[in-house]
Amino acid sequence: MKLTGVGASEGVAVGPAFVPTTSRPEPERTSISEDEVDRELQRFHDAVETVVGKLSEAVQGLRASGGEDEAGIFEFHLEMAEDPELASAVEERVKDLQSPEAAVLAAGEDFARDFAAMEEYMAARADDVRDVTSRISAELISRAASGFDALQRPSVILAQSLAPSDTARIPKGMALAFVTAEGSKTSHVSIMARSMGIPAVVGVGPALKQTLDARTVAVDGTTGSAITDPDQKTLARFKKASEAFAEERAALDEYRHVEASTSGGRRIEVAANLGSASEAEDALEWGAEGVGLFRTEFLFMQRDDLPSEDEQYEAYSAVARAFGDKPVIVRTLDVGGDKDLPGIDQIHEDNPFLGWRGIRMSLDTPELFRPQLRAVLRAAAHGNLRIMFPMVIEAGELEAAKKALEECRTELEGEGARIGEVEAGVMIETPAAAVCAAELAREAAFFSVGTNDLVQYTLAADRGNERLRRLQSADHPAVLALIRRTCEAAGEAGIPVGVCGEAAGEPDMIPRLIELGVTELSMGAPSIPRAKMVVSQL
Amino acid sequence: MAERETTVGPEEGIHGRPAARIVQAAKGFSSQVVLVKGDREVNAKSVLKITGLARKGERLTIRAEGEDAEQAVQTLADLISADEH
Repeated sequence: MKLTGVGASEGVAVGPAFVPTTSRPEPERTSISEDEVDRELQRFHDAVETVVGKLSEAVQGLRASGGEDEAGIFEFHLEMAEDPELASAVEERVKDLQSPEAAVLAAGEDFARDFAAMEEYMAARADDVRDVTSRISAELISRAASGFDALQRPSVILAQSLAPSDTARIPKGMALAFVTAEGSKTSHVSIMARSMGIPAVVGVGPALKQTLDARTVAVDGTTGSAITDPDQKTLARFKKASEAFAEERAALDEYRHVEASTSGGRRIEVAANLGSASEAEDALEWGAEGVGLFRTEFLFMQRDDLPSEDEQYEAYSAVARAFGDKPVIVRTLDVGGDKDLPGIDQIHEDNPFLGWRGIRMSLDTPELFRPQLRAVLRAAAHGNLRIMFPMVIEAGELEAAKKALEECRTELEGEGARIGEVEAGVMIETPAAAVCAAELAREAAFFSVGTNDLVQYTLAADRGNERLRRLQSADHPAVLALIRRTCEAAGEAGIPVGVCGEAAGEPDMIPRLIELGVTELSMGAPSIPRAKMVVSQL
Repeated sequence: MAERETTVGPEEGIHGRPAARIVQAAKGFSSQVVLVKGDREVNAKSVLKITGLARKGERLTIRAEGEDAEQAVQTLADLISADEH
């Protein structure tokens, strides 16, 4: 039987079918007696605490392994689990002598109904509420909300829908593909499938119910179709396609740890962009030969105070240690008026992207800049750290930043601290910096072209404006001319040029960047194998 | 009491991670904080209440009452209007 839905994660897979048993716990006890109320309320709060603890562990675990999207989902779940409105709804029901395990499901259902009545995107949130309240209920009746215990061999998972707590319980390597009756491209199951690298077909509708006794399922996540118990001919076709898909994956895997050179013998370093220290191990696994852009904003977000020098030192040295001799470029703080920083006197800006940000803010606020410089110098004792300043538009700014770096170095030496050598470079992300590249090259140890901002500033096109999406490409003569100019200035001064914007990972752009003189490409880690393949085939 | 009107920034409106971030920020203030859209007024510290309240580009009002009301309103306005989280 053929199921047609939405191709939510590309790829082809064939395998035995597995249908998880329903994950919704059925509370056996629905009512309680008057004198049990206090104790049952306590049990409810304990269960919430346990579930919140587990979710928060999941968030941290996913963050540490680079699963930022999934971490976001669990963060949302965590907030729902400890939602004050959910708690008071449950408390009211328990005081009306409903058992807490039934009360939390019923209260969750009320919220879910509200969401289900909204448009599609929000309607998907109904399942999130049910998932969370099921977990709390299951915790209360001390029974795991998992139907995956019987999953013993790699299989195609068929289900009405799959919640994050379901997919999180699937043992590694056991899911070949997902086929669900509900869901859309933005459902959690779709996000999960993409990050797990397995095909998914979602939203196949009620037809799924007739296929739950299937033995074998062939899934094409690219076209959005699945065939249960396929005939020999179909099976052969899918097997071939799935082999080709696996081969492509494997071919890319071959490139993970190569040192890529063009056929002309030009060696191109392929590095990773990191958004937090916890992404380092993952980046190395994808084959990063260094870090071309280590963003430090993560240290400053979501908190009420500024990170201390020691805290920054720990984060930077963790990455330095992980990468050993491989170079790690730390970019100093680049936030603007659109982000609040505790203790920093910010005023509302109408144009944060043209505002007081990056090196402008750092040079004006030594109490922000100097602990960061000191932390980088100290962390450099544990690896190969470099420093890079964002939003530079003229050589004077670079000189001032380098002067501050030198002062911090002298200060630390006076204190007898262990420090390392730190070369200082600049981001070329404003047209001004590209035009003044020759002057900057005299002072900089390296250049790194931030194509995303360079495109935005050169083409006067807001990165966040959906209608201007077609203008968000480095493939414009003005942008290319600026990159060319940057590379020529660097060539004359004998310093290297990297690219750390999205263009660095785009197969179409890579040959052009290399032709212009770029020698290092830095990108989101999963793009590294393909970039190395593209370089090797030039 | 402090009050401020703002425009919703995140692409898919208030839900998921943006919603979680808004609630986390609201919980950091001792003030009572509510989000008001039309005749709906909801607790800003409840992710279940704020989810789906408004879509990108829609206007809503943040109202806070308490010691740190001014700061709460400011922080939430910035968070709600930011287009990335």
